[in-house]
Amino acid sequence: MRVPYSWLLDYIDTDISAEDMAEVLTMGGLEVEEIDNWASADGEATDQVLITSVTSNRGDLLSMTGVARHAAALLDCDFTLPDCTMPRGGEPERAEHELTQGDSQITIEDLEGCPRYSALRLVGVEVRESPQWMAHRLEAAGARPIDNMVDVTNYVLWELGQPLHAFDHKLLVNGHIIVRRAESGEKLMTIDGVARELTENDLVIADEKGAIALAGVMGGTDTEIRERTTDVLIESAHFDPTMVRRTAQRLGMASEASYRFERFVDPNLTLRALGRVARIIEQIDAGSVVGPAMDVRSEDFVRDPIVLRPARTNHLLGLELTTGEQVEMLALLGLESEPEKTPAEPPEEELLHPYPDHRQALERLRVSVPTRRPDIEREVDLIEEIAIVYGYDTIPATLPRNTTGAGVRTRRQKLERRVSEIMRGAGLCENVTYSMMGACDLDFLDLAEDVDQRDALRLRSPAAENQELMRTTLLPGLLSAARYNVRQRVEEVALFEIGRIFVPLEVGLPEERQKLGAVCMGSARTSTWNLPDEYQEMDFYWLKGIMEQLCERLYIDDEVQFARSTHDSLHPGRAAQISVGRETVGDIGEISPAVQEAYDLPAPACVVELDLEILLSHARLLARYEPQPRLPAARRDLALVVDDDEKHTGQRLLNVTREAGGEFLERARIFDVYVDVERLGQGRKSVALSLSFRHPERTPTDEEVEEAMERITHRLRRKLDAEVRTW
Amino acid sequence: MENRLKKMADAARSALRGASDLEELEETRIEYLGRSGILRELQQGIRDVAEELRPRVGKLINRTRQELEKIVEERRRELEEQQVYERAEENRIDVTLPGRSGYIAGRHPLMATLDDMLEIFLGLGYNIAEGPEVENYYYGFEALNYPPDHPAMDEQMTFYLGENTLLRSQTSTVQIRVMEQQKPPVRVVVPGRCFRRDTVDATHSHTFHQLEGLCVDEGITMADLKGTLIAFGRGMFGEDTRVRFRPDFFPFTEPSAEFAVSCFACRGEGENCRVCKNSGWIELGGAGMVDPNVLANVGYDTERYTGFAFGVGIERFTMNRHGIPDMRLLYSGDMRMLRQF
Ligand SMILES: [Zn+2]
Repeated sequence: MRVPYSWLLDYIDTDISAEDMAEVLTMGGLEVEEIDNWASADGEATDQVLITSVTSNRGDLLSMTGVARHAAALLDCDFTLPDCTMPRGGEPERAEHELTQGDSQITIEDLEGCPRYSALRLVGVEVRESPQWMAHRLEAAGARPIDNMVDVTNYVLWELGQPLHAFDHKLLVNGHIIVRRAESGEKLMTIDGVARELTENDLVIADEKGAIALAGVMGGTDTEIRERTTDVLIESAHFDPTMVRRTAQRLGMASEASYRFERFVDPNLTLRALGRVARIIEQIDAGSVVGPAMDVRSEDFVRDPIVLRPARTNHLLGLELTTGEQVEMLALLGLESEPEKTPAEPPEEELLHPYPDHRQALERLRVSVPTRRPDIEREVDLIEEIAIVYGYDTIPATLPRNTTGAGVRTRRQKLERRVSEIMRGAGLCENVTYSMMGACDLDFLDLAEDVDQRDALRLRSPAAENQELMRTTLLPGLLSAARYNVRQRVEEVALFEIGRIFVPLEVGLPEERQKLGAVCMGSARTSTWNLPDEYQEMDFYWLKGIMEQLCERLYIDDEVQFARSTHDSLHPGRAAQISVGRETVGDIGEISPAVQEAYDLPAPACVVELDLEILLSHARLLARYEPQPRLPAARRDLALVVDDDEKHTGQRLLNVTREAGGEFLERARIFDVYVDVERLGQGRKSVALSLSFRHPERTPTDEEVEEAMERITHRLRRKLDAEVRTW
Repeated sequence: MENRLKKMADAARSALRGASDLEELEETRIEYLGRSGILRELQQGIRDVAEELRPRVGKLINRTRQELEKIVEERRRELEEQQVYERAEENRIDVTLPGRSGYIAGRHPLMATLDDMLEIFLGLGYNIAEGPEVENYYYGFEALNYPPDHPAMDEQMTFYLGENTLLRSQTSTVQIRVMEQQKPPVRVVVPGRCFRRDTVDATHSHTFHQLEGLCVDEGITMADLKGTLIAFGRGMFGEDTRVRFRPDFFPFTEPSAEFAVSCFACRGEGENCRVCKNSGWIELGGAGMVDPNVLANVGYDTERYTGFAFGVGIERFTMNRHGIPDMRLLYSGDMRMLRQF
C-alpha cells in the first residue's frame, strides 16, 4: 500500500524522518519496500510515499490510521483518530435484518455473506471536483480523483480501511437495498464497463429490479454517481472474506475494496466510517445528512477477552518482562488488560524455564482484543504482539540446552554420500534435474505400453511443457541434459544423478524410490593424451568399470553380476542387467539407435540406472581387514580360441575355469580378447586368461598346479569346445 | 732425473685433467701410471742415479705417483657425473605437458551448499530427516495450521496430482512426520526438494531446495531460535556476521520471523553490491516458534513443550555465493558449469 508520509503524520505525534519511520515499521513487521518521492500531476504538491508490503494476516494495516496506530505503538508516541462521530441527527438506528427509514429500506437475506450493512443518506448533494488537498492525498495514495462523492468514499477507505460505496439513491428501485446471493446467470455491468455474468456463489447488492453491485468487489454502472446526482446512499458494510475472495478470483477482478475485505475489515468500523464521511461532507460543504444512519446487523461483534499468563510470555520468548511491562506494551497496541481474579494453579517447575519467577507464575491477565485484530485469537498471538513491540532485535540470543547429544547421519545418508563421492571420483559430474518428465519422454525412451515406467503420476496443471508427469526413471533428465550439452557443442558428457522416482500405488501416496542414474558419451580425452582410443571412450566398459568400482567401495560382499538382458531403451546387443546377490538392482547399456535419435545425440550414449535402496542394502559402512597372503602365488596364462557367440561369454569362460580350478586357484581374470578372421577363422575369438594359484597354508607344488591346469583345460575343451594353448 | 720427473708430472697432470671422457682418462692413466707406463720407466732409471740421491728421488717418485692417482680419481668422478647428466638429458621428458589422469568431478553447487549447512547443524546436535516429496493435503497444509481457504493451496501456487495429493511446497511438511514418529526432544534438519507453480526464469524455478530445522523440547525459547540462527549465520559466513530478525507471518509458527544475514560480499556495507542490492542484508528464510496448533496436531503437550522451526532457501544463496547468474543453470546439467565446481 502507498502511505503518503504527511498524511500519516496527521495521526501521530512524531518528528522522525520518513526514512527512519520506514526502518521502524520494517523492523516492526510492516515491511516498507521503498520510499517514493512523489509529486502531484499539477506540480503543486510533493510527498514521500512509503510503499508497504502487508502480510495476509494484517488487514488492519491497510489504512493510514492502521499504520499510524502500529507506528505509535512501536515508537511509544501519541496516536489520535480523526473525528468519526456522527453529526447530530445521524445517530444510528439498528435492526436485525431489515430496516426501513423514510424512503430507504435495507434487507439482508444472506447474513453469513453480509453480517452487517450500515448506510447513510445524503441529500442536497452537489457533485463537483474535490478540494485540492483531498485530490492530492488520493493521488499520492494511488487513487485517481473522480468527483467529491466518490473521492470522499475513497478518502475514508484509505484513512480508516473501511471500503464504502456511494449509490445514486434516486436510481435505486423503491430505494430498497437487498443483500442476497446472485441468481445463476444474473447479469451486472460493473463500473469498469464490463458485463459480468454471476453465479449463486456471488454475493450481490440488489434493488427490487436486480443486482446493482458485486458485494465488496465493485459497484454497477446503473446506480453510480453522476453529475446530476443529488441524493446519495453511502454503503458501509462488512462482507465475508472468503465469499469476496472467491468472487473476485473467479471474475479476475481485484479492487481496493475486495483487497481489504479478503483480508478482513473490522465489523465495528462501519458506523465510524459513515461518521467520518458525514464530517468530511460537512467540512467540504457537499451536502447534508438526513435521518439516522441505518445499521442492519445480526450480532454485536463483541469479543471475549483472551487470558494471558505473563510467565508464559517469558517462557516462550526467553525474556524477563514484568507483568506491568507486558500490560503497557499491549496497551500501546490498544489492547486493554486487567488482572484475573480467580487464583491460578502454578505451572510445573520445568515450565518456568528459563526465567523462573514463582510469583509471576500465578498471574493471569484478561486481555480485551478489538475486532480489528482477528489475527489475535490465542495467548500465543498476544505473546507475538509483545515480542513485536519489545522488538525482535532486542530479544537475547541463547542456545537450547543440549539434551540430545551429537547429530549423526544415518547409515543410508552416509552411504549415499559415499556413492556421490565415488561417482565424482570416477569422473562423472553430479547433476540435479527436475522431478518431472513429459509423456513424450516415455515415447523417446521407446518404452512398450505395458512397462512399469509408463505408469506415471500426472500433474493436474503442469508449469511447463513436457513436464506433466512425475518421473518414473532418471533417464529422461540425464538424456535431456546430454542433449542440452550437445546443443552447446559439448560432446563429452558424463553425468550422474541421485534422485527420486515416483511409483503410483493403488491407494495413498506413491512410493518414492531413490535411484542412481548416469549417462556418458564421447571421449574422456580432456584429461589424457597419447592413450589408445579404447581407453579414451566413455563406452559400456568404462561405465561398467565404474559400477564395479562402486560396488567394491561399498564393500558389497554378495556377488555382483552383469547378465545380458533386453531393455526397451537399450541396444539389444549391448545391455545388461545388474544384480547383487539374488536381487536385481538395475540396468546398464548403450542406448538404442531409436533413443539416440529421439534425444538427438551424435553418438550412442551409455546409461545406467540402479535402485539405490536395494544396492545400499547390500553395502557395508566399514571395510573388513583381511591378512596379506604370506606365501607367493604361482601364475599361469591360458589362451583359448572359442566360438564368438552367446554361449562363450567371458563370464562363462571364467565360471568354467573357476569350477575346475580346485582349491589352489585363487584368481582368474581375462586380460585379452580379440577377433581375427584370418588367424582364427570366421566366428571365432581368442580370449586370454591369467590365473594365479595360491594356498593360504602352503605353496602348491608344480605338480599340483599342473594338475589344476590340466583339469581347467580339459573342462574348457569338453564343456565349451575351446582350443587351448598354455605357456 | 729430477727435472725429467717434474716435466713428466706436469705433462701427466694436464693430460689427465684434460681427458674428455672416461676412456681417454683410462688410456692416459695407463700411459703414465700403468705397469709399463712412463712413471715405471723413470722408477727403473733410479739405478742410474747417484746412491746418495736415490732415497730423495725415490720419495719424489712416490709422491708424484700418489698425486697423479688422486688426480685420476678426481677426474673420474667428474667425468662420471657428467656422463649421468648427459644420459639423463637424452632421456628427458617435457614436464610441461599436461598430467594424465582420470577426471575428478566436484559436488553440485546446490549439494555443496546443503553439505555446508548440514555440517553446522550436525555440530549443533541435529539429526538429518527426510520425507516424501509427494504429500497429501493433511501433511502439506492442514497439519501445518493452514486455514482451509489459504491462497497457498491454490492450484495457481501448488502442484496437485489429485484432490488430496500434491507436491510439497516446503520442507515444513516433514516437521509433522518427524514429530508423529518421535517424542521430544526433537532436533532435526530436513534438506529437500520443494515445488511451487512458478514460471521458470533466471530467478524463479518450480523446483527448489530448502533446509528446514526443527527443535522441540521443554523450555525452548525464541531466544534459543535467535541464538541458533546466529550460530548458523556465523558458521556459514564468518564470525563477524550479523543476523537480523523481523516479524513475519506463517501459519505454522507464532511468533514468526523473517531472518537475514549481513551481506557476505560487502560485509554489510551495502555499497555497490550486486549480491544484496545495496541493502547490506541477504534474506535467508523464515523462522518462528512452532504454533501450538501444530504441536497439538501431533499430540504433543503444548504446555510442556515449545519449539522453534526455520526454513532456508538453497538456490538463491548458492547463486549468490558462487556468482551464478541464472537459476536454470543449476538444473541444466551443463558440463561446462559443473566442471567448475
Ligand atoms: Zn552486499
